Amino acid sequence: MRTDITNILPEECISYILSLTSPTDVCRSKLVSPVFRSAADSDTIWGKFLPSDCYDIISNASSSSSSKLLTSSMSKTQLYFHLCKNPIIIDNGTMSFGIDKATGKKCYMLGARRLSIAWANTPRYWRWKRVPESRFSEVAELKEVWWLDVKGTIETKILSPNTTYVAYLVYKFSSSRYGFEKKPVDLHVELGESDAGRTFRIFLDPSANIPQFSREREDGWMEVKLGEFFNEHGDDGKATCSLREVDNYTLKKGLIIEGIDIRPKDSR
Amino acid sequence: MPCWICSQMMKSYIWLQTADGSIQQVEQEVAMFCPMICHEVIQKGMGSSKNYAISLPQRVNPAMLSLILDYCRFHQVPGRSNKERKSFDEKFIRMDTKRLCELTSAADSLQLKPLVDLTSRALARIIEGKSPEEIREIFHLPDDLTEEEKLEPLKNTTDDPRIRLLNRLYAKKRKELKERQKLKNIEVEEERVDDRSVDDLLSFINGDNGDSKGIKNSKSKKKNRRRKDQQKNTSANEAIKNHNKEPNGLNQVCHSAEVGQKVRAGVGATSNLHDVEDDIFDNKNELDDGDIDDEIDPALKEKIDREVEDFARRLNSDWPERMQEILSFGHERKPVHFSLNGNGSLRRYASMLLSFFYY
Repeated sequence: MRTDITNILPEECISYILSLTSPTDVCRSKLVSPVFRSAADSDTIWGKFLPSDCYDIISNASSSSSSKLLTSSMSKTQLYFHLCKNPIIIDNGTMSFGIDKATGKKCYMLGARRLSIAWANTPRYWRWKRVPESRFSEVAELKEVWWLDVKGTIETKILSPNTTYVAYLVYKFSSSRYGFEKKPVDLHVELGESDAGRTFRIFLDPSANIPQFSREREDGWMEVKLGEFFNEHGDDGKATCSLREVDNYTLKKGLIIEGIDIRPKDSR
Repeated sequence: MPCWICSQMMKSYIWLQTADGSIQQVEQEVAMFCPMICHEVIQKGMGSSKNYAISLPQRVNPAMLSLILDYCRFHQVPGRSNKERKSFDEKFIRMDTKRLCELTSAADSLQLKPLVDLTSRALARIIEGKSPEEIREIFHLPDDLTEEEKLEPLKNTTDDPRIRLLNRLYAKKRKELKERQKLKNIEVEEERVDDRSVDDLLSFINGDNGDSKGIKNSKSKKKNRRRKDQQKNTSANEAIKNHNKEPNGLNQVCHSAEVGQKVRAGVGATSNLHDVEDDIFDNKNELDDGDIDDEIDPALKEKIDREVEDFARRLNSDWPERMQEILSFGHERKPVHFSLNGNGSLRRYASMLLSFFYY
């Protein structure tokens, strides 16, 4: 009769061992046996997977957000899973912070107000409005423009080290969309001053025979990949992500931008 | 007496007793490397003679004590380089899993943190990337979560479509379990659900029904192939209907790619999964499917073949790299290849899928 190791190893030891694996492994281990299931729920584990400056970030959250109150009373385990699904708004409401479930790495979304959008303050071209389905208080809606230039930057030092990040433009089209099926847009991501980033050119609103690069997100918005970069130690300055269409011959309308989502590669 | 004999006799020993009653003496500097023993000696004055031997915790049997003392004996010597210590550690932990567990437990009870870390890391490396079943096998654990427990519907607090899908699959599987119990000897014909994406996932989970009951692999493969043909028919029909709107086929692929990606991303990347992804692709393309369905009228079949060929050609032509990326499900940039799956990886995929959505 083979002895099962849960008779040999106390639960705390199992929890410690699990804390040395990964969030994915721990979730998986809940299906192994009742003891594993119980050991996987320990704060020892999830506290380790939370980003080290997590609590600092939360304490800087907009104090109006109720999430701040909520998160202060949670166990580390609860906090981890809460942040995976519910990003908190920080930095005066211009950015959101969350965690990638599979790795525990930091994810950020730059709200539209935080981006540099050419002509955004000219009411003839862009409009700012509230929509219930956005996590931010305002989104930018394109009325009409020839020069479309949307850019967002993020300091690499706030990102998780040794991680490949991907940047996505989070957007949707209104019923009056126009121009995006005629002209492709240039998507670009660059680290620091290097100018080594690649530019992709795709149709944001492709017609029949053309590949679709955008996909729908869980929150109902669309997203399109702008590019990716590798963050090693966080000392590469800023990562710049942009979408542009500046040939100046095609009028464009109807693009609604929520922001730019920056998250570890291979996450959802 | 000459001094050197005196100093030999002056060497101190600590007396230790394990739970089985056996007593031994150990050089003081070696034993004192363990915080628990240190505490007993200093705070309680124990261990100085046979009658006052320190009772070690029950988790420390003589075999484990011997290993632990070997570890202490090596590491308590101050002059050693990091390289030496590391090299010793690497050789030291080469033992079977059961012993590793016993050693972890024993070291933990003696509060010998460096050794606990060493053995725990070794065990963590063993657990990483394995499916729940593999872990059960390694640690000889009974499969004592009931099927019902494993298939408990997940709380869908955020109305996550993946969880809705999973709960639907669970409900279906629970139903099947009940039916299987009634009709053990009759082969169960799976009904296809209309929704294509559920289909894809279902075929993986259902395809692995064979394993637990010892049904031959060929039967499951046959089911897979039948399923493939059905899908081939429906997707081909769609391709014909939308003859001029080719991207429909593309969108279908993208859609199932999306499903695959959502699911896959949720599970996390392991090399086992790429077989499964290829299978999703396989269902849509069927280029290598030698098992041609005789029921299709030959003229129609030709038309279908042409559509499929055309589609494959477009896939393999020089499209923007990113399209290739998206279609090949994330970070693997290899050209798509088609392969039939063994049931082993299907099962692993299914249990990984189930386990990751536990929360």
